[in-house]
Amino acid sequence: MKEKAEIHEYVQSLLTNSGDDGPLSDHESLLLSGRLQSMDAVEIVMFLEENFGIDFSQIGFDKDQIDSVDAIYALTQTVTNRN
Amino acid sequence: MNAPLLVTETEAPRPARTLADFRLIPRIETFPRCVSFAQTWPGKIALLAAFGLGLRFFDPYPTVLRLVLPLALITFVPEYRRFVLALAPLCLLVVQLGDSPLVVGMQFATVAAGLVLFLCARRWPNSLFGQRPVAFLLAGFSVLILLSCAAAPSTLSYRVLWALVGAMAIYVWFIGYALMDRNATPRADTSLELASFRPLWGSTTTPFPKGAAYLRRIEARNEQQLAIVQLKGLKLLVWGILLSLFQAWGTKFFHGYLRIPTSAQALAMSIHGTPAAWHLRWESQILFFFEVTLSFAILGARFISGCRMAGFNALRNSYRPLSSRTIAEFFNRFYYYFKELLVDFFFYPTFLRYWKGHKRLRMTVATFVAVAFGNSFYHLVRDWQFFQKDGFWKGLASYQVLFFYNVIMATGLSISQLRKRGPRPKGFVRGHLLPVFGVLFFYCVLSVFGDEDRLYPLAAHLKYLASLFFIHF
Repeated sequence: MKEKAEIHEYVQSLLTNSGDDGPLSDHESLLLSGRLQSMDAVEIVMFLEENFGIDFSQIGFDKDQIDSVDAIYALTQTVTNRN
Repeated sequence: MNAPLLVTETEAPRPARTLADFRLIPRIETFPRCVSFAQTWPGKIALLAAFGLGLRFFDPYPTVLRLVLPLALITFVPEYRRFVLALAPLCLLVVQLGDSPLVVGMQFATVAAGLVLFLCARRWPNSLFGQRPVAFLLAGFSVLILLSCAAAPSTLSYRVLWALVGAMAIYVWFIGYALMDRNATPRADTSLELASFRPLWGSTTTPFPKGAAYLRRIEARNEQQLAIVQLKGLKLLVWGILLSLFQAWGTKFFHGYLRIPTSAQALAMSIHGTPAAWHLRWESQILFFFEVTLSFAILGARFISGCRMAGFNALRNSYRPLSSRTIAEFFNRFYYYFKELLVDFFFYPTFLRYWKGHKRLRMTVATFVAVAFGNSFYHLVRDWQFFQKDGFWKGLASYQVLFFYNVIMATGLSISQLRKRGPRPKGFVRGHLLPVFGVLFFYCVLSVFGDEDRLYPLAAHLKYLASLFFIHF
C-alpha cells in the first residue's frame, strides 16, 4: 500500500499545481471528469515509466488505465505481476 | 473543465458567498426539486420543449424537429438510446438522398467502409493493419486525395473520386476514433460506433465529443443521472444563447457603431496600400481574437448541449479560456475536442513510442507532430476543395499561412509545456493578471495568421504583423 500512497501523493501534487486544492479520493475520476488535463496524463505516464517501469508502447495506452488513483494502482499491480 | 463527470446525488442550493460562487445561470442540476421534476412526464416534456425553443435560436424548425423528436424518444424510453442514436442519422441520410444521390451515396459507402475497417481491425488485431489501423486510414485518405488530383476533370472517375474525398473528409476522424477504441468496445454492442460516426446532435469534422468509447463512459445509467445531465444540457444551451446575443451585440457595436474594421478588412486595406490607422488595426485584431474565441464557445455549447440532452455528460468544448495562465492551458480550454483529437491521434502515439530516454526532446517532438503536422493535416483534409479547385501543388501552397501559424503555435506550446510548473506566484498581478495577459497577447498576435480565407501569401501577413509594431518593409 506504500505504492498507492505514493501515487496518491503524486496525483495530489499535480492537482495542486493546476490550482485544484480540493480533496482527492482514490476512486475519483481525474481525466474524464476534467480535473486533470491531457498534459497531466503525460506527467502520470512519465511518473509510471520512471517509478514502476511501465512501457505503454508495449501494453497499449488508454486513459481509463490512469483515470483514478485506484486505476493507476491496479495498473502497476497488473504490470508487476506480469513481470 | 473541472465539473465532475456524473453527479449522482443532488445537494440543496446554497446562497452565493463570494463572487466566484456567483452563477449567471443557476446550477439547477443541484436542486433536488428540479431533478425530481425532470424525472416526471410533465418535467420531461417541459425540458424537451424548453430545449427545442432554445435550439430554435440557432437552427430552423425542421432542424430543431430532427433533433428534438429523437431526443424525446431517448428521454421517454432511454433503454433504446443507442438504437435511436444509431438509426436516426442514417434515416436522415436516406431523406437527403434525393438532394444529391452521388454525395449521399458516397457518405453511405464511407460509413459502410468505416464499419468494415473497424470489424477487420478487431478480427485481425495482429495483422499489419490491425496494429496500426489509424495510420492506414490517414495514409489511405491521403492517397485518395492524390489520386483525385490526378484524375482528369469532367470525367466520371473525377466526380466519383472527389465525392468520395468529400464524404471521407466528413467521416475520417469519426472512423479514426472507432478504430482507436476498437479494444475498448464490447463485442456484442457496436451500435454506439455507428451512432458516433454521425452524431445526432451535430458536429464539425471534429468529433463532438470524441468516439464511442468515451460516450460509453459518460452515459447516464439511470433516470436520475439522465435528468441531471439533461438539466446541464439545457443550461449549456442557455449559456450558448447568451454568448450568441453578446456576440451579436458586440458585432453591431464595434463594427457597426464604432466602425472598427474586421481583421480581414484591415488586412486587405493594408495590402492594397490604404492601411487603417495603427490603433484601428490593433483593435480589429483584438476583436478578431475575441470573436473567434466566442464563436468556438457558442459552437461547442450548441453541440454539447444536444449531446447532454441525449444522456451523455460530455465536458464543455470551451471552459473559461480567457482565464488561462499558460499557452498550453489556453489551447486546452479554447477548443477542447479539437485539442483532444490532436492529442489522441498524433501526440500520444508519438510520445509513447519514441525518444523515451529524452524527456524534453520527446515532449517537443510529440508536440510538433500534433500541432504542426497534425493540425496542418487536419486542415488539409478538411478543406480538400482547395486541392480540387487549384490542383495539388497550388492547393498545398495556399496553406502556407496555416503552416506558419501551426509551427509558431507548436513552438509556443512546447516552451509552455517544458517550463517547469511550480506553485502559483502569490498576488493577483503576478499570479494571475500578468500570465493571463501574456497568454492572450500571444494568441492575439498569432491570430494575424488565423485568417482561413487564404487570399494572401505569408509575406503579406508578416508585413501586416510588422506594421502593428511600427515596422514597415
